[in-house]
Amino acid sequence: MPYHEFECSKCIPERLHHAVDKNKGEELTDALPLGYLGTIPGTISERGCAYCGAKHVIGTPMKDVIHLSHGPIGCTYDTWQTKRYISDDGNFQLKYTFASNMKESHIVFGAGGMLKKNIIEAFKAFPSIKRMTIYQTCASALIGDDIDAVASEVMEEMPDVKIFTCHSPGFAGPSQSGGHHKINLAWLSQMVGTGEPEIWSKYVINYVGEYNIQGDQEMMRDYFFRMGIQILSTFTGNGHFDDLRCMHRAQLNVLECARSAEYICDELRVRYGIPRMDIDGFGFEATSDSLMKIGYFFGIEDKARQVIEEETARWKPELDWYAARLKGVKVCLWPGGSKLWHWAHSIHSEMGVDVVSVYTKFGHQGDMEKGISRCEPGALAIDDPNELESIEAMYKLKPDVIFTGKRPGEVAKKIRVPYLNAHGYHNGPYKGYEGWVRFARDIYNAVYSPIHKLSLLDISKDEIPTDKGFETPQMFSDVNLSDEIKNSDVLRKCTSKFDPIPGYRAKMQKNEYLFPDPVTGELRTVPLEKLLKNKVVDVEQE
Amino acid sequence: MDKKTAEEKMGLLESYIAKHSLWQYNSRGWDRELQNEHILGKTKQILCGEKARENDSYSDKYYWSEAKTLVDAFNKYFPWLKETSKEDIAVIMQMLKDKMDYTMIKGSLNKELTKEQY
Repeated sequence: MPYHEFECSKCIPERLHHAVDKNKGEELTDALPLGYLGTIPGTISERGCAYCGAKHVIGTPMKDVIHLSHGPIGCTYDTWQTKRYISDDGNFQLKYTFASNMKESHIVFGAGGMLKKNIIEAFKAFPSIKRMTIYQTCASALIGDDIDAVASEVMEEMPDVKIFTCHSPGFAGPSQSGGHHKINLAWLSQMVGTGEPEIWSKYVINYVGEYNIQGDQEMMRDYFFRMGIQILSTFTGNGHFDDLRCMHRAQLNVLECARSAEYICDELRVRYGIPRMDIDGFGFEATSDSLMKIGYFFGIEDKARQVIEEETARWKPELDWYAARLKGVKVCLWPGGSKLWHWAHSIHSEMGVDVVSVYTKFGHQGDMEKGISRCEPGALAIDDPNELESIEAMYKLKPDVIFTGKRPGEVAKKIRVPYLNAHGYHNGPYKGYEGWVRFARDIYNAVYSPIHKLSLLDISKDEIPTDKGFETPQMFSDVNLSDEIKNSDVLRKCTSKFDPIPGYRAKMQKNEYLFPDPVTGELRTVPLEKLLKNKVVDVEQE
Repeated sequence: MDKKTAEEKMGLLESYIAKHSLWQYNSRGWDRELQNEHILGKTKQILCGEKARENDSYSDKYYWSEAKTLVDAFNKYFPWLKETSKEDIAVIMQMLKDKMDYTMIKGSLNKELTKEQY
């Protein structure tokens, strides 16, 4: 696996060890890209900062919380509403963002007094919200404002509120990943163990590293509830602040995004003896294996099997409709930190897509180990590429589509490569069986879009065909398909609704899930209000 | 079973694990050692019809769950395992553990493996 030298980065020799070509017969011990290092001077990274990683990725998906940045307003504005981490109770966390609005005078004279005033003002403006997270920024960290002391003062004056403080200024790490680490450990140290939950099922998990992007968590929650499992907390998508204080009472931590949330799982294992079980919620086989694993842990593999069989029967014919048409499509899988390994093998084996490159913006070497192991030989693996390297790779590899974030996605579009949003999704959710079919549909629509075909024409030099009328994606995708597939009465297009999440919420309202009593094991329904928000009792702190 | 055949069969199992099993990638070397030892150990025990559960602790349940899921996949994708003797399975599994200990720990180029804290 030789290191890959980009033409455009020959003048930055340090970049050589950040890219590797995966060749047949070579192993991870032959070459591995460097990772989680400071961006090299002279190269322009597409990364976020440690504050962004703490607040935007992990903190703000919590739904019943005022998320306040102690810093200039731009910090909070630029980390607001860029990811679709929805909630099932009104999206307060998406509708509002808060900042103490530090200015020059505060840098000179301190901003503690102003912060306290703003905290109280925010709680008074939203009297139904009693929980807050405060995020340190570069500005407030450099002047040394004591946000913990301010938070304590407010909590003394307003005993019904709770405030979590996060010390992860933008410079506290080479990328957003530094912020993930800091907020994980801060939450564990400050908040976990401060509440006692009501346990109403025999099987209790924390669902960790799950951010409810366009409803991912709600999709998976349905499967867990059908298995009779209580989700004590979700870290953090669609999660309650108070539930997350009770993480120490789970029997198992089910971990999705290990890049952003392995730290809290690892520490919960060390401090409380709760095992960490890594799962993949993307792809039919991976989701099925994951549900079976959880089923084995609790001794409810029959329940897992039932969910798997029902979901597979419902959605597999739709996945296969797309798989028949996506075979051989070339993709650059260029997400942030974890989807390069969540998706690489599943899109290849279940949709026939060829992954020609994987990259990670803020992943560590461990993410590259997973990504490289899961993609096929011939792929180019890149750590923290700059824009010129991305463009060079696209010209060389000629992908049909790119899965990436919005910034590099727009660059791809400019050189006529369609992109799908790997972070916030296009038409998600993408998790679970239904979600995976939705992902396949989005890939199909991106690759075979007639408008994309038109965009490949350059009106300054290409001949514009005038003999073509109306065209549809299927006219392009079905050209080389056999009649057997084209006329199959088994395979069908995606029938998932425009937004499937209201359907899952309506199902919750019906409340037909059965959970075993933690003592007797007797199966019974649990009151809806408990399913939606668990009862938590404060623990007296010494 | 000769060594070459055992190595080939071990390679097939290793390829499956490399692609599908997230448990091998924990971020510290000492943690990977524990994962390999417990999960591959229990996998071997299940494949050889031995007792694989030690106690009722959460950690033992966890290792067993990962092993059981792996055995399901091995049986699905590698039907020759059913016709392989227990002795040969034990040899293949030991080779597999040695190989994974090398690839994922001792020979790994991942510089984070030696950090002490999470």
